[in-house]
Amino acid sequence: MNRSMKTKHFKTLMISFLFVLFCGLVPMGCGSQRGVVDQGASVSTERSMTEETERRLETEVQETETEQESEATEIDTAGTAAKGSALKQTMPSTEVTVSVADIPAYNGSPYVAVNDNVPQFLETDLSTSSYEYYSDLDSLGRCGVVYACIGTDLMPTEERGSIGSVKPTGWHTVKYDTVDGKYLYNRCHLIGYQLSGENANVKNLITGTRYLNVDGMLPFENMVADYVKETNHHVMYRVTPVFDGDNLLASGVQIEAESVEDNGEGILFNVYCYNVQPNVAIDYATGDSSLAGGDVAAQNDAAADASVDTAAASYKGAKSDSNAASDSNADQADESSKSSGSTDQTADNGQTSDNSGTSAQNPSGGSDTLMVYKSATGDKYHSINNCGRMNPNKATQITEAEAIRQGLGKCSKCW
Amino acid sequence: METQAKIPIVFSNNNRYNVKEQTIYTAKGEDKMVIYAAVDDHMGMAFNHRRQSQDKAVRKMILNETKTGRLWMNPYTKKQFDDPAAEQIIVDEDFLEKAEEEDYCFVENCSVKQYEDKITKIILIRWGRSYPADTYFDINLTDGRWKLLTSTEFEGNSHKNITREEWVNE
Repeated sequence: MNRSMKTKHFKTLMISFLFVLFCGLVPMGCGSQRGVVDQGASVSTERSMTEETERRLETEVQETETEQESEATEIDTAGTAAKGSALKQTMPSTEVTVSVADIPAYNGSPYVAVNDNVPQFLETDLSTSSYEYYSDLDSLGRCGVVYACIGTDLMPTEERGSIGSVKPTGWHTVKYDTVDGKYLYNRCHLIGYQLSGENANVKNLITGTRYLNVDGMLPFENMVADYVKETNHHVMYRVTPVFDGDNLLASGVQIEAESVEDNGEGILFNVYCYNVQPNVAIDYATGDSSLAGGDVAAQNDAAADASVDTAAASYKGAKSDSNAASDSNADQADESSKSSGSTDQTADNGQTSDNSGTSAQNPSGGSDTLMVYKSATGDKYHSINNCGRMNPNKATQITEAEAIRQGLGKCSKCW
Repeated sequence: METQAKIPIVFSNNNRYNVKEQTIYTAKGEDKMVIYAAVDDHMGMAFNHRRQSQDKAVRKMILNETKTGRLWMNPYTKKQFDDPAAEQIIVDEDFLEKAEEEDYCFVENCSVKQYEDKITKIILIRWGRSYPADTYFDINLTDGRWKLLTSTEFEGNSHKNITREEWVNE
């Protein structure tokens, strides 16, 4: 082999060697970056990461900081005062589907026991570490089931802030004189602020009547909150808003709870709370409403959203120990609710109503979406199934338009 | 009963002091069977066979006030007094039937109406909260038979304001 050929051969060998060396170095660099991503618990600031890795980590940080921006369903464990620790758990194994047909008709009590008052958690749902889970909104923007394992570390340490920016489905700002605090609807936390500290989370807020919020859900939240504070135990807590078909307003909410450390000896219940308001007829398809008895209907006041939020705060939500004023207001509201029977009487004063809260009218004069009650016998239709002039157990629901077509007249007592 | 005086009362608990004006009435008769009951704003006591609430400050108060007598309760109530144990506690399912004069009873989940004639004093612990209930304290304190003797407020361990009311049977 002559000298030129040797030189050429040497160069070829060097190039090959350098090529092999280069191919070996690149995979090692990519593997170390992947390791940083897999650790995942904290944001890395290494500048050597690929652009794709940086975007993924930024996304994880954003998802940690702002739950509302997240598209995925995640569970965050609250191990520190700054909520949103990046530790992820597997989703709870149970999705409970409760339909309106399963629930007894409203009969004067704000809640009714379900499944003999026994929750339907699986063993794998129960935990002695706090966590919380909020379903994504559905295609109609409605909330789904929410879970939390309530512990003292999940509870808020400061007063609740404003939630006026959130407009849950079916939301209307409407006032009635017969409703304590005037406003029919509250922005209703599915998991109460005093339990989880979740405030303006769109996945945790529905449009609920004042009656649902204060008479229905609040007592259960109080019981769970005080139990957790006293015992330092955990309570598995699940809330399922129940919508009928494509209605924007929930018919009610199911609440299940079980204390973990004592196997349910302290806290155990499974109830359905009705999203109703005594003496007010509600169209659950849209959230429209009207005052029963033909009185002057709602004042729709879009500018009063801020005061609605204030009213909601005073009744429920800002239930930290430091907020005695809101507790007092809630207590006053409870007393007022107890006298709802008397307000039913006073509301029926014969004033005319413009029914501005009702939905589209049928040419026959009745609403095609407003549901009313019809008794087994009798020639009247009712706004509630227990107005005293009918057997609630034999009541059936039909639209107002159908009731009029059948020749039924409005009951003068409950309208 | 006649009003004796309206005086400020300083009540301390865990180094916190509350001042509340009390109306003191004269009491008639000797103390006989005394009932303790804890209720919410609607006189509820329990829901789904479970107490509405509990507080170690309330337990401490009851044990302190009953230490020279006998404190009757059922096995369910006894579970919240296991730590610390107290010598005056007597456990029996029929405690209201078996308790005698000068005995104390702590009622959480049963009716007391049928024993009303046997009771001369009711110590009502008001949580100042609204809870769900399906079991209620069923003696009517507003029918004229019972008179409010004293009312004091104190801070509990997990309850911000607890009210202790003494009602006497005329």
